[in-house]
Amino acid sequence: MGPYTITYFGVRGRCGAMRIMMADQGQEWKEIVVDFADWMKGDLKATCVFGQLPKLEDGGFALYQSNAILRHLGRNHDAYGKDGKEAALIDMMCDGVEDLRLKYVKMIYQEYDTGKDVYIKDLPNHLDKFEAVMAKNKTGFLVGDKPSFADYSLFEVLLNHLVLCSSCLDTFPSLKSFVEKMSARPKIKTFLDSEAYKKLPINGNGKQ
Amino acid sequence: VSLTLTYFPVRGRAEVIRVMLKDQGAEFDEKVITMEMWKESTLKASCVSNPLFGQLPIFEDGDLTLYQTNAIRRHLARKLGLYGKDQREAALIDMMDEAIQDLLNKYIKLMFEKDDSGKEGYLKALPTDLKPFEKTLSGDKGSFLVGDKISLADYALVILLIHHQVLSPPCLHAFPSLQSYLKRLCARPNLHAYFHSDDFKNRPIIPGKRT
Repeated sequence: MGPYTITYFGVRGRCGAMRIMMADQGQEWKEIVVDFADWMKGDLKATCVFGQLPKLEDGGFALYQSNAILRHLGRNHDAYGKDGKEAALIDMMCDGVEDLRLKYVKMIYQEYDTGKDVYIKDLPNHLDKFEAVMAKNKTGFLVGDKPSFADYSLFEVLLNHLVLCSSCLDTFPSLKSFVEKMSARPKIKTFLDSEAYKKLPINGNGKQ
Repeated sequence: VSLTLTYFPVRGRAEVIRVMLKDQGAEFDEKVITMEMWKESTLKASCVSNPLFGQLPIFEDGDLTLYQTNAIRRHLARKLGLYGKDQREAALIDMMDEAIQDLLNKYIKLMFEKDDSGKEGYLKALPTDLKPFEKTLSGDKGSFLVGDKISLADYALVILLIHHQVLSPPCLHAFPSLQSYLKRLCARPNLHAYFHSDDFKNRPIIPGKRT
């Protein structure tokens, strides 16, 4: 596997989770940052299978679609459960995170000024499911006893929500502990403290 | 080991699961939940508290209970050998499937709109969404989206194309590879039988009359 290259815009966006995952897995990667004005010219876009970024290159193998990339990394780095049952539960969790991510992205890009307060108010109704799973599993991860790609995806989306509303995990002790423990993992801590991470805005429109 | 699908009496998000199992000749039971039952029962609440998400479909494979359509589909794909021959094919199948899900989500949004005002814009944008699949399937690459065997992604695409033809019969006119792909897949004996069955034909795409 590898070397890895990410081609994306200069934001965390849909690459946030995969970067944290690769960092935690001790992987180095190259970043190709795409300027949005250049993107709109269309040349690079035309080479992308679905006209979208991010793109991950794993050696000579090019892959698109952020969740396909997360799953591929999961297979590469033994972060897809220990058996079929765990894999299915990890898929279920990741899809649940994706549902939350879609809601977040919609609010950020379409309804920030008018919808932010309602979104924050409604947030516990979406977080409670993850809290329940995390509390039940007791290992500090969503499924099994090691981090899966679903954990990296949940961790990243929760970090973004803490920026939106710093108290949003106060009533969710298992999620709060999860974020603290993930943040304290040495390679993740190094990455989150890095300029590479800190200099990128979360979203493309500057809202967070 | 018994397989059980619990869902509303519609095609909706679960149809792709039915199509996959029917094509593979895998027997499964269906528990039908009507909207009235869903609203009144404690099933919805139990979906929320014990995994989660307060949604259908639910899929039981022996003692494993799964929620989230795509997690169910991936589980069955792994079980039935529909996930490519190696890791690289699996990644490409995931990539294709994610893009199909993007189009499916747009389609579902359109279906649940209160009137037809969005339909024209949707159909105008549709060719842009279909082009990557046309490109993938053209040339001498093979009969399926990835590799030389039917996969998770093919089942999602075939039912999506069928439903788009209901929405707009000429929508595949400019896409000869998609047309021939659809024809080829629908000619698979089990799928041919299933798509011609009353079971399939009488099940509405979504609740209500919209198609």
